[in-house]
Amino acid sequence: MLEIKNLHARIADDGAEILRGIDLVVPKGEVHAIMGPNGSGKSTLAYVLAGRDDYEVTEGDIFWNGESILEMGPDERAAKGVFLAFQYPMEIPGVATMTFLRAALNAVRKKRGLKELTTPEFMKLVRAKAAELGVSDEMLKRPLNVGFSGGEKKRMEILQMSVLEPTLCVLDETDSGLDIDAIRIVSEGATKLRGPDRAMLVITHYQRLLNYIVPDKVHILAKGRIQKTGGKELALELEKSGYADFTGKAA
Amino acid sequence: MNVTTLKTKAESQLREQFDAAAEKLPGTGWVSALRARAMDAFAAEGLPHRRVEEWKYTDLRERLRDVPAPGAATAKTVTSTDLDRALGPFAAIDAERIVLVDGVYSADLSKVSAEATVIELMSLAAMLEKAPAWLEGKFSSNGGAVVALNTAFMSDGVLLKVRKDQDPGKPVLLVHARTATEPTALAVRNVISVEAGAKLTLVEAHVTLDGAARGALSNIVTDVTIGDGATCDHIKSLADATASTHLATWTTKLGKDATYRGFQLTASPALARNDINILFNGEGGKLDLSGAFLARGAEHIDTTLVVDHAVPHCESRELFKGVLDGRAHGIFQGKIIVRPDAQKTDGKQMSQALMLSPDAQFSSKPELEIYADDVVCGHGATCTEIDADLLFYCRSRGIPPDVARAMLTESFIGEAVEKIENEAVREAIGTLAIDWLRTK
Repeated sequence: MLEIKNLHARIADDGAEILRGIDLVVPKGEVHAIMGPNGSGKSTLAYVLAGRDDYEVTEGDIFWNGESILEMGPDERAAKGVFLAFQYPMEIPGVATMTFLRAALNAVRKKRGLKELTTPEFMKLVRAKAAELGVSDEMLKRPLNVGFSGGEKKRMEILQMSVLEPTLCVLDETDSGLDIDAIRIVSEGATKLRGPDRAMLVITHYQRLLNYIVPDKVHILAKGRIQKTGGKELALELEKSGYADFTGKAA
Repeated sequence: MNVTTLKTKAESQLREQFDAAAEKLPGTGWVSALRARAMDAFAAEGLPHRRVEEWKYTDLRERLRDVPAPGAATAKTVTSTDLDRALGPFAAIDAERIVLVDGVYSADLSKVSAEATVIELMSLAAMLEKAPAWLEGKFSSNGGAVVALNTAFMSDGVLLKVRKDQDPGKPVLLVHARTATEPTALAVRNVISVEAGAKLTLVEAHVTLDGAARGALSNIVTDVTIGDGATCDHIKSLADATASTHLATWTTKLGKDATYRGFQLTASPALARNDINILFNGEGGKLDLSGAFLARGAEHIDTTLVVDHAVPHCESRELFKGVLDGRAHGIFQGKIIVRPDAQKTDGKQMSQALMLSPDAQFSSKPELEIYADDVVCGHGATCTEIDADLLFYCRSRGIPPDVARAMLTESFIGEAVEKIENEAVREAIGTLAIDWLRTK
């Protein structure tokens, strides 16, 4: 279970406060959506969960399975099962996708007390998952994300997620920049990972992603706090009325 | 001959060493005269210093305080097992092997299986002794002080020719092995000719055998002539751990439609100066030069290029990547000359350094001298730290910070290493680079 308690965070560089007291609980087995206008703190929340040191937590705490993760580095959090699918995945020239995936998988397996996979086991695992997401062998050989289209990069994020088998999946605007077909492929990939042992936090500006990844709960984030929580119908309401009620100005 | 008085201790030592060694160096007649002229030319200039523009960042007069004695043939026998150990990842490559031990050609350790109709190979020392008239023209007289010293002192080297339209089918590994247990100075001269339509992959591997002294000085000059339509891949590897001073000069002439792909790995000498001089002699020539220079501590690596587009329709690419740690200093100077007639020249140059320490230093000096008006020429230089966003991305996937940093550094160099065409050679160079990165 993910528990966020009174979380305050600011940008380390200039001290600007972005998160102003977030309280949120996502039990295992559930998918929660965070919706909010631009600048509401959605991406900051995602980064703070993953442990990016550009942000400073000034108050509150984050617990994953009862354990505070605030003092853990991003790699330790990953080993504990936290995974952030980036809004803008990074390109790493000179590192083949397979090499990267293998380094990541072996690192988390080692930390989780599992033994490293042999090359054939690893290849088999990745190829099977890649095929489901329409990721070609050729893409796997290429340097990670280099020259990939927006849709290919997002598919690669979901592939990494399914290979690393996290228990807390945070999807940051996975739909941004994708056409409807790409959204479908990516959402199907993410939906496959729904399960009783996994919690999922889907961050999005628009409702349409939630047609594919249907959430158990929807939270509206604005001005650095959760303003409202409801069922999946809340997303549809928002689609009609916009965020004006929560930002205090017309959208 | 009227000669400027030599100024420094090292300069005087060089003169004394030359006077003492001249009798014993291979060759008489025109060879002796050539050596003497070269020594005089050196004496007139002295060691290059910072007020000489090309040596702005590498003041040899300041840095070369004491010159070790010229290497003498060592009594020590080198076995091929010793050599393989020193060669590391190169040992396993299926290649023609030519070995120079302390600057002297070793027939025992060299193994060349190619037919004489494909490759012609001669020891330079043997040819200097015979001193045929045609050989005299092979030594250029205007290569500056370092080449002049090389000409004066050259002990041996190889004359290697790939005959017209021939392809040896495997790389030629030219091993420069150092074994001397006292610090010595080596001067080796190689003359490579790839005749019209022929192909050559030449790998110069500089290696140090167990027990070799620290603080050696090497001066290696390799002249390459590439015939019309011929292709030459030329790779140099120096992965040193013996605080050596390495002076290397490549002078390459490309014929019509010739292709030259050069790569240099320079890892951890005390001081290295890599001079590369390229001349396009015929239209349609293609040049692709790249390299990785890796330095830590107080190491100093200088790569200085001059690419002369003397004729139209030639293409040149340069990509040099440096990883600098500690107080290391990396230098890249790249001069591109486009002569008035060299229209349709296409030149691109890039030098990039990754700084692993706040005290490391990178000096990059591109120089474009363009006298033609219909050309495309560009250059760029960057100097960066490991990208914090990339580091976070890797760590968010569970990769620990030290592994992530190593991976991103490999990725940085990888772009240059990937330019090596031959897969086995590329992998060997990659292994050496990774070994260096993982050495703390």
